[in-house]
Amino acid sequence: MDKELVRAAIHDTCIRAVTEISADVRDLLGQALERESNETAKSMLSSMLENLDVAKQQDKAVCQSPGYPTTWVTFGEDGFPDFVGEAVADALGEATRKGYLRPSIVDPLTRYNPGNNTGEGVPNIEYQYHPGQDYMDFIISFKGCGAELGNAMKIFTTATLKLDQDFAGLKRFVLETAINAGGKPCPPFGIGIGIGGQMDIASKLSRQAISTRKWSDTNPDPLLARLETELRDNINTLGLGAAGTGGDTVCLAVKIGRAATHTAIAPVAINFHCWVARRAGIRIYRDGRIEKIL
Amino acid sequence: MSKHVLHMPLREEEVRQLKVGDVVYLTGHIFTARDMAHLKIRTLLEQGGELPKDFAGAAVFHAGPVCLKDEAGNWKLNVVGPTTSIRMEPYADVVGKMGIRAVIGKGGMGQDTLDACEKYGYVYLQAAPGCAAKLAQGIRSVYDVTWFEMGMPEALWDLEAVEFGPLVVGMDTHQNSIYKTLREAALEKLEALYPEKG
Repeated sequence: MDKELVRAAIHDTCIRAVTEISADVRDLLGQALERESNETAKSMLSSMLENLDVAKQQDKAVCQSPGYPTTWVTFGEDGFPDFVGEAVADALGEATRKGYLRPSIVDPLTRYNPGNNTGEGVPNIEYQYHPGQDYMDFIISFKGCGAELGNAMKIFTTATLKLDQDFAGLKRFVLETAINAGGKPCPPFGIGIGIGGQMDIASKLSRQAISTRKWSDTNPDPLLARLETELRDNINTLGLGAAGTGGDTVCLAVKIGRAATHTAIAPVAINFHCWVARRAGIRIYRDGRIEKIL
Repeated sequence: MSKHVLHMPLREEEVRQLKVGDVVYLTGHIFTARDMAHLKIRTLLEQGGELPKDFAGAAVFHAGPVCLKDEAGNWKLNVVGPTTSIRMEPYADVVGKMGIRAVIGKGGMGQDTLDACEKYGYVYLQAAPGCAAKLAQGIRSVYDVTWFEMGMPEALWDLEAVEFGPLVVGMDTHQNSIYKTLREAALEKLEALYPEKG
């Protein structure tokens, strides 16, 4: 694999991620506006779509907050891609200088802001080795942090899941969390849910589900697909609406990731994503071909 | 329908006339302030220190703009949009004591703010979330910046707004909150869908 070519592709992908939202989410926003019956929500959704156009015309950031960047890299037989972290950090620096990203990454305790959107553990890269894979996947996602304020995590048990009532305990937790979040995560939001593992694994699955999957896709697992649809539709019957000021669509998508867990527990992490779905991804083949995957 | 434009400094009586659901636009000084600026202002007030700006009748915007310096070294606003307001809930009374008449943000605030809106006479205005490029069209210039050492987002930016909006009155001075009403209705629906007991 030609490292320079890959570095250039990563750079372009990072810049694409901060200057537009992914097409699947834009389409869902348009559909939400078409079926909306609440006047305030219509105005909010129209503003959101107009904002995307203004940002594009004026070559500006879609949102003032760059959120928190996480990158997923899967690799196979070509070996560990040690250059990815540096390539992402370079792109973040350039995007910050150009005004696409506000310098917003700080020390968690002292709140010191070095001004370049990097710091201890940032950029965060999640590397995954996939034996036998003859390409590399790169996805970067900038997730807003107002959305984080609504997040919740709970360790369920067989009894509290309400396994005998089609997981009514789990579903109540998701809806309760959505009500508590209200307008905080910039609705219409997406929700990532991680189920399984221990606390750490459920949390990572929740972020990966909502950040790396198309919001319009269908989960290949029939149980998860059914839960994703039911939860999304029932959250929307709550009436919270775009911006959380009332309306028909507060939730554009629910995406669930699953991993095996211990027989005593069922960890569930709920992770909100604002409508400003800034993410982009590419697949890089060994022969240098590059394909857009997100 | 003509635009309902309010000019800063806002008068208490005009603010008390506003009702939830009203749509307004603001012209005049808007000060951005978020976690660190609120904390700093509260400390100054507690210690009897002087505030860096006259906030009487002003609008405070829960926001951290993206600003860039031009070739002459002057700040230019690139984009600006609302941040999640609930983080500033502990400062409900501080905002009232500052003489603020309008708080702009997203996601709504809690009961302490609703009580302070009634007591001091200020309203909470909801801006369209995630619409920073569009909202920036309502900011003509950057007057100045205070406490830049706290970082670009946390600094106190004094902005010149011209028909900034649209902004929806989310909480008024009469104990009405869109967020509170929606939350109560949603909790009832939740109980019908997946009852807590059973």
